[in-house]
Amino acid sequence: MRRLKARDEHALRELYEALAPWVLGLAYRILHDEDEAEEVVSDVFVKVWRHVHRHDPRRGPLVPWVLSITRNRALDELRRRRRWWRKADRLGQAQGPGDELENPAPHEATVPGWPLHREVHAALATLPDELRRVVTLAYFEGLSHSQIARRLQQPLGTVKTRLRAAHHKLTDQLAHLKDWLE
Amino acid sequence: MTDWLGMSVPPRTPRPELKGRVLARALARRRRWPLAVAAALVVVAAGVGSAWWAQRTITALAAERDRLAARVAALEDTVSSFIHDPATRLVQVPVSTGGRVGSVTIFADSARHRWLVRCDGLAPNARDQAYQLWFVTDKGMQPAAVMAMDRDQPMVMGLPLPRAGEQVRGAAMTIEPRAGSASPSGPMVFHLEL
Repeated sequence: MRRLKARDEHALRELYEALAPWVLGLAYRILHDEDEAEEVVSDVFVKVWRHVHRHDPRRGPLVPWVLSITRNRALDELRRRRRWWRKADRLGQAQGPGDELENPAPHEATVPGWPLHREVHAALATLPDELRRVVTLAYFEGLSHSQIARRLQQPLGTVKTRLRAAHHKLTDQLAHLKDWLE
Repeated sequence: MTDWLGMSVPPRTPRPELKGRVLARALARRRRWPLAVAAALVVVAAGVGSAWWAQRTITALAAERDRLAARVAALEDTVSSFIHDPATRLVQVPVSTGGRVGSVTIFADSARHRWLVRCDGLAPNARDQAYQLWFVTDKGMQPAAVMAMDRDQPMVMGLPLPRAGEQVRGAAMTIEPRAGSASPSGPMVFHLEL
C-alpha cells in the first residue's frame, strides 16, 4: 500500500498479479461476459492506481476495498445492460438456481489468496439456502430489498429479516479475516 | 461482512494480453504529462505569435488610418477652398447620357487657375469608351481629363488649367476611345461657353 501511494509502478504490477484473478472472477460472476469482465478489470486497476491515496487503512484492508470497487463497477455495467432487454433473457439463463456457488477448482489452489477464498466460500456455503439466496441476489446482482422480494415472491419484511440474519452469521464467521497483501 | 464476499467467487485466470493493456492504461496518465506540457507550450506559442501578429496588424492599420485621415483633411481643405473662395465660379451643366439625366458641376477657380469637376448621373461607358473633358480655349479644344466610368457613381477630380497664354473660355465633354483622343472625335455630351 505504501509503495502504491508512493507511485511505485512495480507495486501496481504486483498488485495486478495478486488480485487480477479475483477481480476478474468477481466481475465475471456478476456479468457472465468475459469481454465486459475484462473491461471492468481494466477500469478497477486504473481507478485503484489513480485513487489509492483515498483509501484509508483504518476503515479496512486493501483487498476488500478493491473488491468493492469491482462490484460497484460491474453492477453499474449490469444495470446499464439490463436496459437492453434482449440481453436480459440471456442473463437469466446464465444465472440458474445452482449457479450461485461454484465449486473451487483444485488446480487453482496456488493462486495467492486461495485460503481466504476457501474461508469465505465455506462461510457462504454454510448459510441456509434461503439466506444464501437473498445474499447472492443483493451482492452479486445488486438488487434492492424490494426487488429481491419481487424476484422471490416473498414479503419485503421476510427478505429484510433474512438479510439481517445472513449478515450476522457471516460477520461472525469472517471477523477474523485479514488482508494477505501488505 | 459484504466487504469480503467478493472472495467467495473462484478466481479466473486473465488472458496474458490483459495485463499489458491494463497497466498501459493505468500508467498512461503519468506518461501523458510530457505530451500535455508540449501541447500547452504549442498553445502558448501560438497565442504569443497571434498576439504579436495582431499587434503588428493594429499598428499598421493605425498608421494607414492616420495617413488616410490626413489625406481626407487635405482634400476637404482643397474642396472647401474651391467652394468658398470668392474667385470661384460655379457652373452646373445638365447632361443626358444613355437615356439618363445627370449633371456636371464645375468649380472654376480663376485665382489658382484650377477647376474642381464633379460628375453625377453619367451612364457607365461601354468597355472600349470613356468620357473626355475638354478645355475650350482661344486656340481650340485642349484635353483636360479622360474619365472611364465603369460604375454608376459620382466622380470628382481637380484639374489644372492650361498654361498661361491660353485663355479658357469654356468646357466640353465627348465620348472617346478608352485611351482618350488628342482632339474631339466622338459624340458630344455637352459644350459650354463660360
